[in-house]
Amino acid sequence: MKRFLKWFGGVLAVLLLAAFGVLCYMAGSPKDAYRMARYALPHMHRGSLKIGSDAPDARLLALDGTSHFHIRERLGTRPLVLVFGSFT
Amino acid sequence: MGDIVQIYNDYKDHADFLTVYVREAHPTDEWQMKSNVKDDVCYAQPKTLEQRVAIAKDFTARYKFPLPFGIDEMSNAADSAYAAWPERLYIIDVTGHVSYRGGMGPFNYKPAEVRDWLAAKYGAVKHEAPPAATASTTATPATASTPAPDKASATAPASATK
Repeated sequence: MKRFLKWFGGVLAVLLLAAFGVLCYMAGSPKDAYRMARYALPHMHRGSLKIGSDAPDARLLALDGTSHFHIRERLGTRPLVLVFGSFT
Repeated sequence: MGDIVQIYNDYKDHADFLTVYVREAHPTDEWQMKSNVKDDVCYAQPKTLEQRVAIAKDFTARYKFPLPFGIDEMSNAADSAYAAWPERLYIIDVTGHVSYRGGMGPFNYKPAEVRDWLAAKYGAVKHEAPPAATASTTATPATASTPAPDKASATAPASATK
């Protein structure tokens, strides 16, 4: 049993190191890997929308900074392409 | 001009477009990217809606971004509803249902899939590749691989201008 646990621990450590190495490679540095784990990984499997789901609505502020509109108000007789993102 | 803007120009007579500005992906006080420092795109995470509006205005002005634009409120309602952060693409059909759901950016942010969806419905719009880009692609196909986040840090609106 002790031998099994020793092997199991060793394999686990190697796998964790390999995963960290891959993360560092993807992120560019260990520091970025940490930030990726902190800020991005929790969002990886967010959301339950699927093809065919009702498109959710949300209120948005217009670029003028004063007027508001809803996403679903933009639905009409044509498909609506939604592009989510930020500046950075 | 970048992928999304090009798609917008190609299909704006057939489909409606809406860009939704969500909370920053790489603000100075969280996960800042070197590429953003180099490009002078340095903003702290907005704490107020006015700060979001200011950044959104900087963005649209800097890139003369032509797509219709909306800003997520501080409750992040749009982000939550669409699992949008840091960047994501959707197509909603005329019945109000999700017809295309893109993956989470930057690795699974694929404007080409939106183009394919629109092309299947309205026909393909072809563009001649610039000679330099063609030569580069032919010479070094490896450059087409997914870049590291630092190299692909700009999220949807910004990447749309690349």
